[in-house]
Amino acid sequence: MPNEKQLSEKESLQLITDMIQKVKNSYHDKGVGPLLWGTVVAIASFVSYLQLEYDFKLPFDIWLIVLGAIIPQIYLINQDKKTQKIKRHEDAALNAVWLVYALTIFGLSFYQSFAPNAAEQIMKTYGWQLVKHQIDNSKPDEIISPFTPSFYSLYILVYAFPTMITGLVKKYRPMIIGAIIAYSLFIVSCFTETKYDFLLGAISALACWFIPGILLRRMYLQQKKSNV
Amino acid sequence: MFKELDPILHSQLRLAVMSLLINVKEAEFTFIKEKTNSTAGNLSVQVQKLKEVGYIDVAKQFKENYPQTTCKITAKGIEAFESYVNALQAYLKV
Repeated sequence: MPNEKQLSEKESLQLITDMIQKVKNSYHDKGVGPLLWGTVVAIASFVSYLQLEYDFKLPFDIWLIVLGAIIPQIYLINQDKKTQKIKRHEDAALNAVWLVYALTIFGLSFYQSFAPNAAEQIMKTYGWQLVKHQIDNSKPDEIISPFTPSFYSLYILVYAFPTMITGLVKKYRPMIIGAIIAYSLFIVSCFTETKYDFLLGAISALACWFIPGILLRRMYLQQKKSNV
Repeated sequence: MFKELDPILHSQLRLAVMSLLINVKEAEFTFIKEKTNSTAGNLSVQVQKLKEVGYIDVAKQFKENYPQTTCKITAKGIEAFESYVNALQAYLKV
Protein backbone atom coordinates (compact mmCIF):
# COMPACT_ATOMS: atom_id res chain seq x y z
CA MET A 1 0.00 0.00 0.00
CA PRO A 2 1.64 3.30 -1.06
CA ASN A 3 2.06 5.60 1.93
CA GLU A 4 1.05 9.04 0.73
CA LYS A 5 -1.42 8.34 -2.08
CA GLN A 6 -4.13 11.00 -1.96
CA LEU A 7 -7.56 9.50 -2.05
CA SER A 8 -10.81 10.74 -3.44
CA GLU A 9 -13.67 10.94 -0.95
CA LYS A 10 -15.27 7.86 -2.43
CA GLU A 11 -12.00 5.89 -2.26
CA SER A 12 -11.58 6.92 1.38
CA LEU A 13 -14.99 5.59 2.33
CA GLN A 14 -14.31 2.40 0.40
CA LEU A 15 -10.98 1.95 2.18
CA ILE A 16 -12.61 2.40 5.59
CA THR A 17 -15.29 -0.17 4.68
CA ASP A 18 -12.64 -2.63 3.43
CA MET A 19 -10.58 -2.32 6.59
CA ILE A 20 -13.62 -2.83 8.82
CA GLN A 21 -14.42 -5.96 6.82
CA LYS A 22 -10.82 -7.20 7.08
CA VAL A 23 -10.90 -6.91 10.87
CA LYS A 24 -14.25 -8.68 10.94
CA ASN A 25 -12.89 -11.57 8.87
CA SER A 26 -9.58 -11.76 10.67
CA TYR A 27 -10.75 -13.31 13.86
CA HIS A 28 -12.88 -16.33 14.46
CA ASP A 29 -13.20 -18.20 17.67
CA LYS A 30 -11.58 -21.62 17.20
CA GLY A 31 -14.65 -23.17 18.79
CA VAL A 32 -12.59 -25.55 20.96
CA GLY A 33 -13.79 -24.07 24.28
CA PRO A 34 -17.53 -24.38 23.53
CA LEU A 35 -16.94 -27.86 22.05
CA LEU A 36 -15.05 -28.99 25.16
CA TRP A 37 -17.64 -27.66 27.65
CA GLY A 38 -20.57 -28.75 25.52
CA THR A 39 -19.17 -32.28 25.45
CA VAL A 40 -18.31 -32.69 29.14
CA VAL A 41 -21.50 -31.09 30.50
CA ALA A 42 -23.67 -33.07 28.07
CA ILE A 43 -21.91 -36.35 28.99
CA ALA A 44 -22.07 -35.68 32.74
CA SER A 45 -25.76 -34.71 32.53
CA PHE A 46 -26.66 -37.68 30.35
CA VAL A 47 -24.78 -40.18 32.53
CA SER A 48 -26.52 -38.69 35.62
CA TYR A 49 -29.84 -39.27 33.88
CA LEU A 50 -28.88 -42.89 33.00
CA GLN A 51 -27.82 -43.55 36.61
CA LEU A 52 -31.22 -42.44 37.88
CA GLU A 53 -33.22 -44.08 35.12
CA TYR A 54 -31.49 -47.48 35.28
CA ASP A 55 -30.60 -47.36 38.97
CA PHE A 56 -26.86 -47.87 38.85
CA LYS A 57 -23.93 -45.87 40.19
CA LEU A 58 -20.52 -45.32 38.66
CA PRO A 59 -17.56 -45.86 41.04
CA PHE A 60 -16.72 -42.14 40.69
CA ASP A 61 -18.67 -38.90 40.44
CA ILE A 62 -19.21 -38.27 36.73
CA TRP A 63 -19.20 -34.50 37.36
CA LEU A 64 -15.47 -34.75 38.06
CA ILE A 65 -14.95 -34.73 34.26
CA VAL A 66 -16.24 -31.14 34.27
CA LEU A 67 -13.58 -30.24 36.84
CA GLY A 68 -11.01 -32.14 34.76
CA ALA A 69 -11.87 -30.03 31.71
CA ILE A 70 -10.57 -26.92 33.49
CA ILE A 71 -6.94 -28.00 32.82
CA PRO A 72 -7.19 -28.16 28.99
CA GLN A 73 -9.27 -24.95 29.11
CA ILE A 74 -6.47 -23.07 30.90
CA TYR A 75 -4.00 -24.43 28.31
CA LEU A 76 -6.28 -23.28 25.47
CA ILE A 77 -6.65 -19.78 26.95
CA ASN A 78 -2.86 -19.47 27.23
CA GLN A 79 -2.35 -20.69 23.66
CA ASP A 80 -4.93 -18.17 22.42
CA LYS A 81 -3.21 -15.34 24.29
CA LYS A 82 0.09 -16.24 22.61
CA THR A 83 -1.31 -16.29 19.08
CA GLN A 84 -3.86 -13.47 19.30
CA LYS A 85 -2.70 -10.35 17.47
CA ILE A 86 -5.64 -8.14 18.34
CA LYS A 87 -7.69 -7.42 21.41
CA ARG A 88 -11.32 -6.56 20.88
CA HIS A 89 -13.33 -4.13 22.97
CA GLU A 90 -15.75 -6.85 24.04
CA ASP A 91 -13.10 -9.41 25.07
CA ALA A 92 -12.62 -8.17 28.63
CA ALA A 93 -16.38 -7.88 29.23
CA LEU A 94 -17.08 -11.39 27.92
CA ASN A 95 -14.22 -12.86 29.94
CA ALA A 96 -15.76 -11.23 33.02
CA VAL A 97 -19.18 -12.72 32.18
CA TRP A 98 -17.71 -16.25 31.89
CA LEU A 99 -15.73 -15.80 35.10
CA VAL A 100 -18.92 -14.79 36.93
CA TYR A 101 -20.66 -17.80 35.35
CA ALA A 102 -17.93 -20.14 36.68
CA LEU A 103 -18.27 -18.58 40.16
CA THR A 104 -22.05 -18.99 40.00
CA ILE A 105 -21.75 -22.67 39.05
CA PHE A 106 -19.28 -23.12 41.91
CA GLY A 107 -21.72 -21.33 44.23
CA LEU A 108 -24.60 -23.57 43.16
CA SER A 109 -22.50 -26.72 43.71
CA PHE A 110 -21.45 -25.42 47.11
CA TYR A 111 -25.07 -24.69 48.05
CA GLN A 112 -26.16 -28.12 46.86
CA SER A 113 -23.42 -29.84 48.86
CA PHE A 114 -23.70 -27.93 52.12
CA ALA A 115 -27.14 -26.32 52.41
CA PRO A 116 -29.11 -29.55 53.10
CA ASN A 117 -26.77 -30.57 55.97
CA ALA A 118 -26.79 -27.05 57.37
CA ALA A 119 -30.59 -26.99 57.14
CA GLU A 120 -30.76 -30.31 59.00
CA GLN A 121 -28.59 -28.91 61.81
CA ILE A 122 -30.68 -25.73 62.02
CA MET A 123 -33.90 -27.75 62.12
CA LYS A 124 -32.46 -29.90 64.91
CA THR A 125 -31.73 -26.74 66.88
CA TYR A 126 -35.37 -25.74 66.57
CA GLY A 127 -36.51 -29.28 67.31
CA TRP A 128 -37.97 -29.98 63.87
CA GLN A 129 -37.50 -32.80 61.41
CA LEU A 130 -38.65 -33.52 57.85
CA VAL A 131 -41.00 -36.45 57.53
CA LYS A 132 -42.17 -38.24 54.39
CA HIS A 133 -45.84 -38.85 54.91
CA GLN A 134 -47.90 -40.94 52.49
CA ILE A 135 -51.23 -39.16 52.07
CA ASP A 136 -53.11 -42.45 51.75
CA ASN A 137 -51.27 -43.87 54.80
CA SER A 138 -50.14 -46.86 52.69
CA LYS A 139 -46.66 -46.68 54.24
CA PRO A 140 -45.45 -45.58 57.67
CA ASP A 141 -43.97 -42.09 58.01
CA GLU A 142 -40.26 -41.89 57.24
CA ILE A 143 -37.76 -39.30 58.52
CA ILE A 144 -35.81 -37.78 55.63
CA SER A 145 -32.96 -35.30 55.21
CA PRO A 146 -33.60 -31.87 53.71
CA PHE A 147 -33.11 -31.79 49.95
CA THR A 148 -33.26 -29.27 47.14
CA PRO A 149 -36.11 -30.21 44.80
CA SER A 150 -35.52 -30.01 41.04
CA PHE A 151 -32.18 -28.32 41.69
CA TYR A 152 -30.67 -29.09 38.29
CA SER A 153 -33.24 -26.68 36.77
CA LEU A 154 -31.18 -23.84 38.23
CA TYR A 155 -28.06 -25.12 36.45
CA ILE A 156 -29.97 -25.11 33.14
CA LEU A 157 -31.02 -21.52 33.85
CA VAL A 158 -27.42 -20.56 34.60
CA TYR A 159 -26.14 -22.29 31.41
CA ALA A 160 -28.34 -19.97 29.38
CA PHE A 161 -27.21 -16.60 30.74
CA PRO A 162 -23.52 -16.32 29.62
CA THR A 163 -24.48 -18.02 26.35
CA MET A 164 -27.16 -15.41 25.65
CA ILE A 165 -24.81 -12.52 26.51
CA THR A 166 -22.03 -13.94 24.29
CA GLY A 167 -24.48 -14.54 21.45
CA LEU A 168 -25.92 -11.01 21.68
CA VAL A 169 -22.54 -9.26 22.01
CA LYS A 170 -20.92 -11.24 19.21
CA LYS A 171 -24.13 -11.25 17.17
CA TYR A 172 -23.71 -15.01 16.90
CA ARG A 173 -27.14 -16.49 16.20
CA PRO A 174 -26.43 -20.18 17.08
CA MET A 175 -25.59 -19.16 20.66
CA ILE A 176 -28.68 -16.95 20.93
CA ILE A 177 -30.82 -19.87 19.71
CA GLY A 178 -28.98 -22.22 22.10
CA ALA A 179 -29.70 -19.89 25.03
CA ILE A 180 -33.39 -19.60 24.05
CA ILE A 181 -33.59 -23.42 23.95
CA ALA A 182 -31.95 -23.59 27.41
CA TYR A 183 -34.38 -21.00 28.84
CA SER A 184 -37.31 -22.99 27.41
CA LEU A 185 -35.93 -26.26 28.81
CA PHE A 186 -35.48 -24.58 32.20
CA ILE A 187 -39.22 -23.85 32.25
CA VAL A 188 -40.01 -27.43 31.18
CA SER A 189 -37.63 -28.80 33.85
CA CYS A 190 -39.59 -27.02 36.60
CA PHE A 191 -42.40 -29.50 35.90
CA THR A 192 -40.39 -32.69 35.41
CA GLU A 193 -38.71 -35.22 37.68
CA THR A 194 -35.03 -34.71 38.57
CA LYS A 195 -33.86 -37.54 36.26
CA TYR A 196 -35.48 -35.82 33.28
CA ASP A 197 -33.96 -32.50 34.38
CA PHE A 198 -30.56 -34.09 33.76
CA LEU A 199 -31.67 -35.15 30.29
CA LEU A 200 -32.88 -31.59 29.60
CA GLY A 201 -29.54 -30.31 30.95
CA ALA A 202 -27.68 -32.52 28.45
CA ILE A 203 -29.80 -31.11 25.60
CA SER A 204 -29.15 -27.57 26.88
CA ALA A 205 -25.37 -28.16 26.89
CA LEU A 206 -25.55 -29.44 23.31
CA ALA A 207 -27.67 -26.46 22.21
CA CYS A 208 -25.71 -23.78 24.09
CA TRP A 209 -22.15 -24.92 23.40
CA PHE A 210 -21.63 -28.13 21.46
CA ILE A 211 -23.55 -27.19 18.30
CA PRO A 212 -22.36 -23.53 18.24
CA GLY A 213 -18.85 -24.91 18.91
CA ILE A 214 -19.03 -27.21 15.86
CA LEU A 215 -20.24 -24.30 13.69
CA LEU A 216 -17.49 -22.01 15.02
CA ARG A 217 -14.87 -24.70 14.41
CA ARG A 218 -16.09 -25.17 10.86
CA MET A 219 -15.98 -21.40 10.20
CA TYR A 220 -12.49 -21.17 11.71
CA LEU A 221 -11.15 -24.04 9.59
CA GLN A 222 -12.72 -22.58 6.44
CA GLN A 223 -11.18 -19.20 7.19
CA LYS A 224 -7.79 -20.79 7.87
CA LYS A 225 -8.00 -22.68 4.57
CA SER A 226 -8.86 -19.50 2.65
CA ASN A 227 -5.92 -17.67 4.25
CA VAL A 228 -3.38 -20.29 3.11
CA MET B 1 -19.13 25.31 2.97
CA PHE B 2 -17.42 21.94 3.27
CA LYS B 3 -15.13 21.21 6.17
CA GLU B 4 -11.56 20.52 5.06
CA LEU B 5 -10.54 16.88 5.36
CA ASP B 6 -7.90 16.17 8.01
CA PRO B 7 -4.62 15.91 6.01
CA ILE B 8 -3.21 13.42 8.52
CA LEU B 9 -6.04 10.99 7.87
CA HIS B 10 -6.50 11.76 4.20
CA SER B 11 -3.68 9.49 3.12
CA GLN B 12 -4.14 5.88 2.16
CA LEU B 13 -1.97 4.02 4.65
CA ARG B 14 -2.68 6.24 7.66
CA LEU B 15 -6.41 6.02 7.01
CA ALA B 16 -6.13 2.23 6.67
CA VAL B 17 -4.30 2.03 10.02
CA MET B 18 -6.89 4.21 11.75
CA SER B 19 -9.78 2.25 10.19
CA LEU B 20 -8.30 -0.96 11.59
CA LEU B 21 -7.64 0.47 15.04
CA ILE B 22 -11.08 2.07 15.40
CA ASN B 23 -12.53 -1.48 15.41
CA VAL B 24 -10.30 -3.05 18.03
CA LYS B 25 -9.00 -2.28 21.50
CA GLU B 26 -5.42 -2.79 20.35
CA ALA B 27 -3.56 -4.49 17.52
CA GLU B 28 -0.03 -5.77 16.99
CA PHE B 29 2.15 -4.06 14.43
CA THR B 30 2.47 -7.32 12.47
CA PHE B 31 -1.32 -7.57 12.22
CA ILE B 32 -1.62 -4.04 10.84
CA LYS B 33 1.22 -4.70 8.39
CA GLU B 34 -0.48 -7.86 7.15
CA LYS B 35 -3.93 -6.29 6.77
CA THR B 36 -2.69 -3.13 5.05
CA ASN B 37 -0.26 -5.00 2.76
CA SER B 38 2.44 -2.49 3.61
CA THR B 39 6.15 -2.81 4.25
CA ALA B 40 7.49 -2.59 7.80
CA GLY B 41 9.52 0.55 7.05
CA ASN B 42 6.66 2.39 5.38
CA LEU B 43 4.22 1.42 8.11
CA SER B 44 6.66 2.50 10.86
CA VAL B 45 6.88 5.99 9.39
CA GLN B 46 3.09 6.38 9.16
CA VAL B 47 2.53 4.93 12.62
CA GLN B 48 5.07 7.41 13.98
CA LYS B 49 3.20 10.30 12.31
CA LEU B 50 -0.10 9.17 13.83
CA LYS B 51 1.60 8.88 17.20
CA GLU B 52 3.13 12.37 16.95
CA VAL B 53 -0.29 13.98 16.44
CA GLY B 54 -1.69 11.95 19.34
CA TYR B 55 -4.10 9.83 17.31
CA ILE B 56 -2.61 6.53 18.47
CA ASP B 57 -0.55 5.14 21.35
CA VAL B 58 2.32 2.81 20.58
CA ALA B 59 3.62 0.37 23.18
CA LYS B 60 6.77 -1.69 22.78
CA GLN B 61 7.32 -4.74 24.96
CA PHE B 62 8.74 -8.25 24.90
CA LYS B 63 6.56 -11.30 24.36
CA GLU B 64 8.24 -14.73 24.56
CA ASN B 65 11.65 -13.05 24.16
CA TYR B 66 10.59 -11.28 20.95
CA PRO B 67 9.95 -7.54 20.65
CA GLN B 68 6.31 -6.75 20.19
CA THR B 69 4.76 -3.44 19.16
CA THR B 70 1.10 -2.80 19.80
CA CYS B 71 -0.95 0.17 18.63
CA LYS B 72 -4.08 1.57 20.18
CA ILE B 73 -6.30 4.43 19.05
CA THR B 74 -6.60 7.36 21.51
CA ALA B 75 -9.68 9.43 22.40
CA LYS B 76 -8.25 12.23 20.22
CA GLY B 77 -7.83 9.71 17.39
CA ILE B 78 -11.42 8.52 17.70
CA GLU B 79 -12.66 12.12 17.61
CA ALA B 80 -10.52 12.91 14.55
CA PHE B 81 -11.68 9.74 12.77
CA GLU B 82 -15.34 10.54 13.47
CA SER B 83 -14.94 14.11 12.19
CA TYR B 84 -13.19 12.76 9.10
CA VAL B 85 -16.00 10.30 8.36
CA ASN B 86 -18.63 13.01 8.94
CA ALA B 87 -16.79 15.33 6.55
CA LEU B 88 -16.58 12.56 3.94
CA GLN B 89 -20.30 11.91 4.28
CA ALA B 90 -21.00 15.62 3.84
CA TYR B 91 -18.93 15.67 0.66
CA LEU B 92 -20.63 12.62 -0.73
CA LYS B 93 -24.03 13.57 0.70
CA VAL B 94 -24.40 10.03 2.05
